[in-house]
Amino acid sequence: MIKPKKISFGAKLLLLFLFINGISTKCVAQDVDYKAYTLFVYNFMKYVEWPEAQSKGDFVVCVFGESPVHKELTGLASSKKLKGRNIIIKTITKPEEAAGCQLLYVSASKSGNIKALKDQMAGKPILIVGEREGLAKKGAQLSFVTMDDDELKFDINKKEIEQHQLKISSQLIALGILVN
Amino acid sequence: MKKSYKLLLFFFLVSGYISYAQEPVNPVAVTDSTKKDSLNYYDMTIEQLLSLKAHGVPSELEKLINSLISVASKKPLNVRESPSIVTLVTAEEIKNSGARDLIDVLRLVPGVDFGVDVQGVVGIGMRGNWAHEGKVLILLDGQEMNEILFATTQFGNHFPIDQIKKIEIIRGPGSAIYGGYAEYGVINIITKQGGDINGVSVSGIYGQTEKDFMRRNINLSAGKKIGDFEWSVSGMMGQGQRSDQNYTDIYGSSYTMIGNSALNPAYANVGASYKGLSFRAIGDFYKTTTQDGYDAIYPKPYAQNFNSTYFELKYLWKVSKKLTITPKLNYKNQSPWKTPQGDSIDQTYLKTATRSTANITASYNPTRKINVVFGSEYYKDMAVDHLAGDTFYNGKQTVSFYNYAFFAQGLLKTRFVNIILGARYDKHNVYGDAFVPRVGLTKKYNKFHFKALYSNSFRAPAIENINLSGANGIHPEKTQVLELELGYQLTHNSIFTINFFDITTKNPIIYYSIGAGTDAYTNQGNTGTRGFEAEYKVKDTWGYIAINYSYYTAAGKDKSAAYSVVQDPSMMLGFASSKVNLNASIKLTENLSINPSGTFYGPRWGYNSVDTGGYAQLSKFNSVFLFNLFLKYNTPVKGLSIGFGVYDIFNEKFVFIQPYAQPGSLTNLPHAPLPGPPREFIFRLSYDLNFKAKTTK
Repeated sequence: MIKPKKISFGAKLLLLFLFINGISTKCVAQDVDYKAYTLFVYNFMKYVEWPEAQSKGDFVVCVFGESPVHKELTGLASSKKLKGRNIIIKTITKPEEAAGCQLLYVSASKSGNIKALKDQMAGKPILIVGEREGLAKKGAQLSFVTMDDDELKFDINKKEIEQHQLKISSQLIALGILVN
Repeated sequence: MKKSYKLLLFFFLVSGYISYAQEPVNPVAVTDSTKKDSLNYYDMTIEQLLSLKAHGVPSELEKLINSLISVASKKPLNVRESPSIVTLVTAEEIKNSGARDLIDVLRLVPGVDFGVDVQGVVGIGMRGNWAHEGKVLILLDGQEMNEILFATTQFGNHFPIDQIKKIEIIRGPGSAIYGGYAEYGVINIITKQGGDINGVSVSGIYGQTEKDFMRRNINLSAGKKIGDFEWSVSGMMGQGQRSDQNYTDIYGSSYTMIGNSALNPAYANVGASYKGLSFRAIGDFYKTTTQDGYDAIYPKPYAQNFNSTYFELKYLWKVSKKLTITPKLNYKNQSPWKTPQGDSIDQTYLKTATRSTANITASYNPTRKINVVFGSEYYKDMAVDHLAGDTFYNGKQTVSFYNYAFFAQGLLKTRFVNIILGARYDKHNVYGDAFVPRVGLTKKYNKFHFKALYSNSFRAPAIENINLSGANGIHPEKTQVLELELGYQLTHNSIFTINFFDITTKNPIIYYSIGAGTDAYTNQGNTGTRGFEAEYKVKDTWGYIAINYSYYTAAGKDKSAAYSVVQDPSMMLGFASSKVNLNASIKLTENLSINPSGTFYGPRWGYNSVDTGGYAQLSKFNSVFLFNLFLKYNTPVKGLSIGFGVYDIFNEKFVFIQPYAQPGSLTNLPHAPLPGPPREFIFRLSYDLNFKAKTTK
C-alpha cells in the first residue's frame, strides 16, 4: 500500500533547484568577449602592411558606431604600442570622419553602412574590419565570425585588401578564412 | 526509511557538496585568468589566436555545451543548436560515476528507462514508451546493434563502457536520418580510437552483493595514430548475473537467480583507417542464462545467447572543400535469442540473420550557412531457420527481403534562426513504404537557446514481425513528435534546459497470442505520451552536478490496451511517470573524487500475479530511490586509477517491469517483474600505458 506524501515531488524539485541556483547565480554567464576581438584587431595591425606614407606617426583606429570593443581598444592603446607607434582610438559617427584612420572598425550596429563605406574608402589605405559576420563579402577586408563551437575566426577578402594598397602576411591568412 | 526522507537527505547531501565546492571558485579567475594581466594577454602569439573563443575563455560547462555533435544532423553542430533533443555523455562522466554497465549510464538520461521483455532480457523505454523492439536505434561505432530478427537490443553487463569516448543520445525521433529503428530515439556510442588510446589500456570491475558476485569483467584496448594511419584493437570479457534475488512468476513459483541469470559478455572491436578509408569489425557474443519461461518459470535454467558480427568499409571522399561523398558497405551476421536444442523445454530457437547494406551519402556546403546532406541506402536481409522441421511463413527455412531508401536534408543558418528540413523515404519489398519528413528551428542567442521540432518517424517491422504477422500482414508503425526546448545559461558554469514533447504513434506493432504457443504481431490501435524533461547542470574545475527531472503522461492519449493501465490512464505500463536523476562528481583533492549518482522513480504499474480466474493482475509498485556513491583515486603510479563504490546503497532492489501485456488473455500472460541487482559493492581498476607522454586527467 502506498503511503500519502506530505510534500509533493514537484515542490521538492523546485526547492532543490532554487537552492542550487541561489548559490551559483553569484557567477554570471559569459557575454561576448570583446577583449578577444581586440586581440585579433591588434594582430591585424601587426600582420597587415600599410604603404610607406602610412607607417609613421600615430596609428589611428576608428570605431564606427557604438561597440563595447571601444573600451577594450582604449585599454590596449594605453598599454601597448605598435612597432614603437602610439595607438590612438577614435569614435566616429559618420563615414566621412574616417579620413585619417588606418583601421576602421565597423560595429555591428553600423553594418548597414558597409557598402557606402566601401565606396567612400575605395582605393584608400585603410583596413576595414567588420564586427558582424558576412561583412567581408560586402566590402570590409576582414570580418569576424563565430564558429559552431564558439571559436572566434575571421573572414578575409584578399581582393579588397589589395585594392586598398595593403599587404596581408601569410601567417594571418593561415589563421583566417578566405572568401574569394 | 520513507522514500521522501531519503530523497531529502540525499538533496541536503548534494547541497552540502555544492556549498563546499562553490566556495573556492573565483568567478573572475574562471572567466579569464589572463585578464588579470593585460600585457601578457596582448603578448599572445599569433598561433595562440586559434584557441580564442568568441565568448572568452570557456568554462568547463561551456566546453561541454559548445562541443560539436553530429548525431542529430550529420553536420556537426553544437549541442544547443543541434536539431534534436540531445544528451551528450562523456567518457569522463562514465568513468567518474563508476557505472557498471550501459543501464547505469543511460538511466541517468532524462526520459530513458528500462523494462523486462521475456526470458530475462532487459530492454529500453523512452519517455514512457516501450521501445525495446526496434524503436530506439543503438549505434556502436556506426554499427547498428539492434538484432534484425526482432530488432531488440539487450541490456545488462553487455557493452564495454570502459572503452566509450562519448555517447550522443537523441531522446526523440531520428528516422528521417536513420530509418526504421530510430522511431523514438538514437543512442550513438563512440568508442576510443587509436589516437584516443595512444597506447595500451587495461581495466577491470568486480561487483559483489551480500550473497554473490554480480560481475567480473576485464577490458583491454590498444591503439595509436601515426600520421594518417590510425588503428585500434579492443576487447572485453566477463561474467555477470542479473541479480541475486529470487524471481517469482505471476503464479507465485520462484527460482533463485544466483547461478541462473548469467550475463556473460565477450566482445572485440578492431578498427583501422588511412586518410579517408576506414575499416571496422566488431564481434559481440553475449551469453545469458535464464529460467524464465513465459508466464511460468521452468524447472531448470537454459542458455540464451546473442551472437553478432559486424563489418564496415567506408571511404570519406573529399571531392572539394565544399563537397564530401561517403560510400559505405556494411555486413552483419546475427544469431540472437539462440537457445540450443535440448537445452530448454520448449524455447529452442536457432535462427541466423544477415543484413548487407550499401549506403552513399553526400554532404555539400555551398556556403558556411548552408549544408545539404542527401543519399540513398539499400539493404538485403536474409534469415535461416536451423531447426529441423521449422519454417518461415513462406514454408521454407530461408527468407529474404530488401529495402531501399532515399534521404535528404537541408540546413540553413541565418542570424535569427537555423532552419532544418529533412525527409527519408523507405520502400520495403514486403511491408511497403514509409515517408518521414521533419522540420526544425533552432538558435542560440548568447545565453538563451531554443529548439522547435516537428518530426515524423517510423518503426520498420523486423523479420519475425513479418514472419508472425499472419494473413493481415504487417505495416510500419508511424509516429509524429512535437518538441520544444528552451535553455538558458544561468551562470558562467551552469545551464538550465527544459523541453516539452508530444508523441503520437499510430498502428503500433503489438505482440499478442491467439493460443498457447501461437505468437503473432499485428498493427493495433494507437499509443503515445506527452510530457517534459528539465535539466540543471553546473560544471567547473571542482567537478559537476547534473540534476534532471523527466515526466510523461498518457492522459488524453488514445492508446492500445497493450500499454494501458486501467486504474490510471495517465500511466503507461512499467514506467514511472516521474523520474529524477542526479549525477555529480566532486574533486576532494587533485586525485581523489567523490561521485554520487542516483535515480528516483515515482510509482509504477505492472503485472505480478493472477486472480482466481487466471487473469493477470495489475499492481502499483512503490517509488524507488537508487542512490550510488563511487570514490575514484588516481594513484601516484602514472596511469593507474582505482575506484570503490556502492550501487543502490539503500538496497531498494529495483525490479524491471514488463511494459506491455495482453489484458484479458488466458493464453498470453505477462512476465512478473524481473529483479535487478540489489545493493552492490564495486571495485574498479584501470591502467593506461601511453606510447608517448600524454596529459592524463
